Amino acid sequence: MAEPARTLAGPLPGAAPRPAVPVLPALRTVVPGGLRPGSLVGVAGHGSGSLGLALVAGVSRHGGPDRAGGWCAVVGLPEFGVVAAAGMGAAPERLLLVDDPGDRWADVVAALTEAVDLVLLRPPERPGAAAARRLAALARRHGCVLALAGPHAAAWPGVRLRLRVAESRWEGLGAGHGVLRARRARVTAEGRGGGAWLWLPGPAGEVAPADGGRPRLEVVA
Amino acid sequence: MTGGPRVLVVWCPDWPATAAGIDAATAGAVVARGRLAACTAAARAAGVRRGQRVRDAQRRCPELVVQDRDEAAEGRLFETVAAAVAALIPRVEVVRPGVCAVPARGPAQFYGGEEALRVHVQDAVVEAGFDCGAGVADGLFAAELAARQDGGAIVPAGGSARFLAPYPLAVLERPELAELLARLGVRTLGDFAALPAASVADRFGADGARAHRLARGIEPRPLAPGAAAADRAARTAFDPPAERAEQVVFAARRLAAELHAALAADGVTCARLGVEVGFADGRVLERLWRHDGNLSATAVAERVRWQLAAWRPEEGDADAVWGGAAWLELVPDQLVPDTGRQDGLWGRGAVTDRVARAADRVQALLGHGGVARPVLVAGRDPGERVVRVPVGDLAPTDRPDGPWPGGVPDPAPAAVPPGPLPAEVTDDAGARVAVSARCAVSAPPARLAVGGGPAVRIVAWNGPWPVAERWWDPPRARRRARFQLATEDGRAYLASVEHGNWQVEAVYD
Repeated sequence: MAEPARTLAGPLPGAAPRPAVPVLPALRTVVPGGLRPGSLVGVAGHGSGSLGLALVAGVSRHGGPDRAGGWCAVVGLPEFGVVAAAGMGAAPERLLLVDDPGDRWADVVAALTEAVDLVLLRPPERPGAAAARRLAALARRHGCVLALAGPHAAAWPGVRLRLRVAESRWEGLGAGHGVLRARRARVTAEGRGGGAWLWLPGPAGEVAPADGGRPRLEVVA
Repeated sequence: MTGGPRVLVVWCPDWPATAAGIDAATAGAVVARGRLAACTAAARAAGVRRGQRVRDAQRRCPELVVQDRDEAAEGRLFETVAAAVAALIPRVEVVRPGVCAVPARGPAQFYGGEEALRVHVQDAVVEAGFDCGAGVADGLFAAELAARQDGGAIVPAGGSARFLAPYPLAVLERPELAELLARLGVRTLGDFAALPAASVADRFGADGARAHRLARGIEPRPLAPGAAAADRAARTAFDPPAERAEQVVFAARRLAAELHAALAADGVTCARLGVEVGFADGRVLERLWRHDGNLSATAVAERVRWQLAAWRPEEGDADAVWGGAAWLELVPDQLVPDTGRQDGLWGRGAVTDRVARAADRVQALLGHGGVARPVLVAGRDPGERVVRVPVGDLAPTDRPDGPWPGGVPDPAPAAVPPGPLPAEVTDDAGARVAVSARCAVSAPPARLAVGGGPAVRIVAWNGPWPVAERWWDPPRARRRARFQLATEDGRAYLASVEHGNWQVEAVYD
């Protein structure tokens, strides 16, 4: 059991750096190389629901020790759309859902950081400085990415990467006719330029690169 | 080979119905997942059968009382029966709620013969207020069928095979095997028993061989010598004594997992599991449960919960915990070689050790249901398509299948709140948009406000799609008209009108 021993000890000084936590291929233009293990990621604004799903899907599909799929936990988001996440590529059998952690949310997240590759968390309250420090330290030690959503995520210290949907438009719906088919969204990482146009989600639920094409309608397979 | 030890089985007819509080004289049935799990004698007389759909049963018997199945209540109430039997013969084994067994040989000598014993036990249970049949035979399987025969019967020693011969294959409770055999012209246990054992094992595998042994009136598995059972007992002490049943149940789950791991390491499984709870005042609560390697750790914990729940109210007050539970011991009984059981992809095996440990810690904080794994199923509403299974429980096996007319098309919404959010949709003039019975919209929707928030302008919409669900079942029927609404802030919503009220079912965030 070399694995737990390593995770207990934390990274040794001078040891090889941990591999990055992967994101969906379409998101690599926004987050080149993937997420730094043990880092904090914020998702905010409208479209944060889909961004959270996409982060979970990326780890669930491409994460884990052999890149064959990692485990994710979702804490405090009872509305997490599992079907939509599966459409983006997530494997529901490697998801843990803690819908209502109550006031024990910090302990719950602390327990989960040891086991999973990414925790998507909506803190139910403004985190205390000590709790935030403790969770950030645990995440660093275990190489688990802490993705923060919700109104209290902005107050979390030490978040270097904040993803948001800068602008978006739904396709397929008219005035009284049609059906929601896909959404074209410009996803940006705060402070890192213009971002990328993505289908978030595409017609089959997937995340794919899109052009910013204004009025032109095109067939997306 | 003889058919194993003499066993007395007490069988309470239609136990799920009894436990649900349905009197045997009224036509009633208990339903699990849309099908009848059990029905009373009165209902059976009207043509109602186990396994029917509810509406088929109600067609045959319109006055049928239908209740949801409550397995916890079944286990709890059956403790009363087990206690009545235990007053006569201490070593009672609960096979499942509704059926319990005791060894017959010793007690029969004490009470003056098997018939005297049988009548004695039957009287004791009827005295406790429950209908029952009691039967004596070689081995559990024959004894249970003997108990089901008209108030009970005694099958003489060595006569099990002849007694079983006329029974249909259905009593083996292996429908696939029975169907296959019927196509081969084998219709009764006697026919089946006449087949050569080796050929049956070749063709039908370990489970078929087990069924064949049952049909021949011998124990399903050769009994292993009972030695070395005691030292495998898993025990934990509570210091200070556990005041709440939850603590004991939680410890039971951990103990059961340890025990299962230890047994699996030796390639054995136990036929029965003894659960002993010791209380601070020295009392010991002891019960045997049928295991056969089929119980998960959670299922064992559930049985411990039934055992505690059934015994605590007897004292009638808060001190009923008898000073709290001081220790808990799980004793595997009758170790037999484990012939293997294929765990589905969804088994515990899919959960890595680290994840299991973390999930255990979360469950310690929040309770068993606190952390769940999602299972995707078919369904019409976005919320219906995900079932949350607490970690450690087995996923539901019989999932509903389609078609689902009026289902929500792909892509799926990103946020599905547990319940619909109240909303208000107004037209340009500020009046609430109404949908007529013929699905005409009073005016194009122009503004949406969710949960009392600020109104946002609607830029595109479709609908209404009528969704009528369970119209055949008035109390649960729903009639809604669905809309998809895209707002100017880049979001879109799945909204619906029900009884004139708008609600948001999901958000395309």
